[in-house]
Amino acid sequence: MACQFCGVQPASVKDISKGDDPIAKIDPKDLMPLPAPYDGPEYTPDIAELKDETKKTYGKSSTLDGVLAAGIPQPETKEEEAELVDKFLDGLHKLFTKEDNWTFLQPLMLSMEHCARCQTCVENCPVYEASGFNEVYRPTYRAEILRRLYHQHVKPGNKWFKTFQNNGIELNYTLISRLYELSYRCTLCRRCAQSCPVGVDNGLITREIRKLFSQQLGWAPKELHEKGTVQQLLVGSSTGMNSVVVKDNIEFIDEDMTERLGWEVKTPWDVKGADVLLIENAGEFLAWPENHGCTAALLDKAGISWTMSSEIAGYDGVNYGLFYDDVQLARVASRHFAIAKELGVKKIVMGECGHEHKALATIGDRVGVDLPPRESILTLVRDIVKSGALKLDPSKNDFAVTLHDPCNTVRNLGIVEPQREVLRMIAPKFREMTPHGIHNYCCGGGSGFAIMSGFNFNDWRNLVSGRKKFAQILNAFADEDLNTDETKKYVCAPCSNCKGAIRDMLDFYGAKEKSGIHYGGLVELVVNAMVDAAEPVLDWDMM
Amino acid sequence: MSVLHALVYLSVLIFVVACFARGLKIARTPMHLRWELQPVPHEKPGKSMFEQVNWWEHSRDKNHFGELGIMIPEILLLKGVWEHNRGLWFPSWALHFGLYLLIGNMALILLLTILLLAGTAQSGVLVNVLVGLIRTLSFIGGGLGVIGAVLMFFKRTFDKNMSKYATPSHYFNIILLGAIFASTVLWAFADHGYISRVTGLYAGVLTASPIPAFTTTGYLNVAVVLLFFIYLPFTHMTHFFTKYFTYHTIRWEDQPNTKGSKIEQNIVKNVTQPVSWASPHIGADGKKNWVDLAGGTGEVKQDKKEEA
Ligand code: SF4
Ligand code: SF4
Repeated sequence: MACQFCGVQPASVKDISKGDDPIAKIDPKDLMPLPAPYDGPEYTPDIAELKDETKKTYGKSSTLDGVLAAGIPQPETKEEEAELVDKFLDGLHKLFTKEDNWTFLQPLMLSMEHCARCQTCVENCPVYEASGFNEVYRPTYRAEILRRLYHQHVKPGNKWFKTFQNNGIELNYTLISRLYELSYRCTLCRRCAQSCPVGVDNGLITREIRKLFSQQLGWAPKELHEKGTVQQLLVGSSTGMNSVVVKDNIEFIDEDMTERLGWEVKTPWDVKGADVLLIENAGEFLAWPENHGCTAALLDKAGISWTMSSEIAGYDGVNYGLFYDDVQLARVASRHFAIAKELGVKKIVMGECGHEHKALATIGDRVGVDLPPRESILTLVRDIVKSGALKLDPSKNDFAVTLHDPCNTVRNLGIVEPQREVLRMIAPKFREMTPHGIHNYCCGGGSGFAIMSGFNFNDWRNLVSGRKKFAQILNAFADEDLNTDETKKYVCAPCSNCKGAIRDMLDFYGAKEKSGIHYGGLVELVVNAMVDAAEPVLDWDMM
Repeated sequence: MSVLHALVYLSVLIFVVACFARGLKIARTPMHLRWELQPVPHEKPGKSMFEQVNWWEHSRDKNHFGELGIMIPEILLLKGVWEHNRGLWFPSWALHFGLYLLIGNMALILLLTILLLAGTAQSGVLVNVLVGLIRTLSFIGGGLGVIGAVLMFFKRTFDKNMSKYATPSHYFNIILLGAIFASTVLWAFADHGYISRVTGLYAGVLTASPIPAFTTTGYLNVAVVLLFFIYLPFTHMTHFFTKYFTYHTIRWEDQPNTKGSKIEQNIVKNVTQPVSWASPHIGADGKKNWVDLAGGTGEVKQDKKEEA
């Protein structure tokens, strides 16, 4: 039930199991104000209402906050609801067994049992802050639900003592369908975890909730599952491109790049024994083709022996399993490793894609043995630029540049400096966002949100989860005129998902037309600064 | 042996065994997937291994003093709370620091007891210093703790962030800690024989010899301390040692899977476990293990989906 006084947020954790109306609402007046010139009410419209038909179809799962990201069709009978609750409960037990959840059992148990409920973590959450501190988005709100369920239904011990320590919660279909939706209101950025003195990780808890729904009930957003990991493993890429289409696209990109640079750029395919297997996010080939073109150009110029793979999943570094399902995560990562082994390359180089970095470099590091080494393109590009192999003229990038830090690359892997070293060498008007590096804010599209756009979720992402980042971008360019598109501003976002979220955010607020704010990757800026490039690769009209 | 002897031995035993069992349970969970969180302080700032080309060819230059640089201010000064939750900082710091002082005081009492048992002269300089220190720390630690407990109680009750998430145990914990602090101060203040009685208690416990009689406040103090010993291992307050795991084996773990390593052996152990998740896209049956399932795609043929 929404709080009787304010009407926009739940009064307590227990409300998750109660009532038929949304327990929270987004009131634009409550949202964190944006800096000028985006501080007017026209820049913070209402989130589109869900259609009656949608509400009817998705029933209780549409009664969280008036927003629908994934949605589960409402069961027709009470018996079906009860069955789902039983199945959920069964999955809850599995989440705490070593066989079914060796992957994260230890961190999960520690996070379940040691939270002091001190709320030290909460104000570090960009979603909670941007929402105007709506209770339902508090990092500890969803964690507390799982914690109470765990103590009530899984952890052995005296019932009275467990309630004394953790309070209780009513487990019913209303709870599970809302909790499913709620697990898609957190970007898994782990900023809250950085500030927890005890080491509790609310981002991890959210991921475990998603996992329970996916692995036990088969509930996952179609963008992540059917169109994501399943399509990638069946067809080759979550974009739906098979190897014939992707090779065609890359050929076109190579030709275009060759024409623009004035020297031949050619992507090698399936070269056995090459030093480097380049795996990029295949979304680049469709949405930002110059990113691949520039990466290829840089590898060629540096004289690196490299290849791409046309095997299924070999040309797409995404791994949406990272966001919702350990088995799918392991399947995709295992494919990537097997392809590299088969080609006999010395290393995999991960393209500008943050979650690919995390999935392959750290998380995937323990899904198999004798794995090929993985390295970041950011590090490699830094070394190429510093080696002097390229002739660079920073004045070609004589516009304001700021840097977005993808959460997975900085907060998990700690790759912070290489991209900065490059920017300091090639972008004279580079300035940092505040805060930045490992304390960055998520773009708002993390954990799959960048590609999820069902129902009215786009509105929510642009208005709430990406709000903090948009404010940061505006603040980074505060010394520039934000009322004109004449002076160009460039947000360097070396991650495909982040670029997707930033693209949508800039479109939503009209910031490209109004303020001349554009976005792109790191390699584009490097190649744009190359003295021997026939034409600039940054085309402001196309960006 | 008196009832008091039995209670002391029993509560200390419960404390040690239950903490050990909790630690063992955590330590024996299978090796998990990597889940580091920056900052990882054994790496020098700006020196994540992933920032190096061919990082696997470089030797790891871990700086474990960097970890102490984070842990010491965190434990002693509650740096995280200072930075992210300033309003809670003083109540929480006073409560924690008061407790640290009393724990330190217990060590001093133990030392003094051993010296006395060893026959060191009652008037020796060291003994006098210890007596003075113990009395002072009882006042300062207990007093600071009382202030912390009272402020914390108000925070839990009236701070809208905290009250929504408070459970009955939170209030009980504060009251219990408050009782320990208050009874320590009162006992040390009102009883001129405080030092001889606490050392008498320790000596009695150490040598299984008679324990002197206490004042009522003294008995109350001993009772609440023993209750705390029994109760603590079953609460979230065990974070005082489980923090080791959240930091060292998760956030700062930072151990790549190298050929022939223990990690490799653990991976083999993990992935050969049976899987029983019920969603059809997993394809589990309770017998197939993670390796058997790794070749799947997650595709569920429509008829199968309907069956499910
Ligand atoms: S997660 Fe950590 S910071 Fe947040 S309430 Fe729990 S103990 Fe406090
Ligand atoms: S992981 Fe990020 S989005 Fe999720 S609760 Fe924590 S800070 Fe908020």
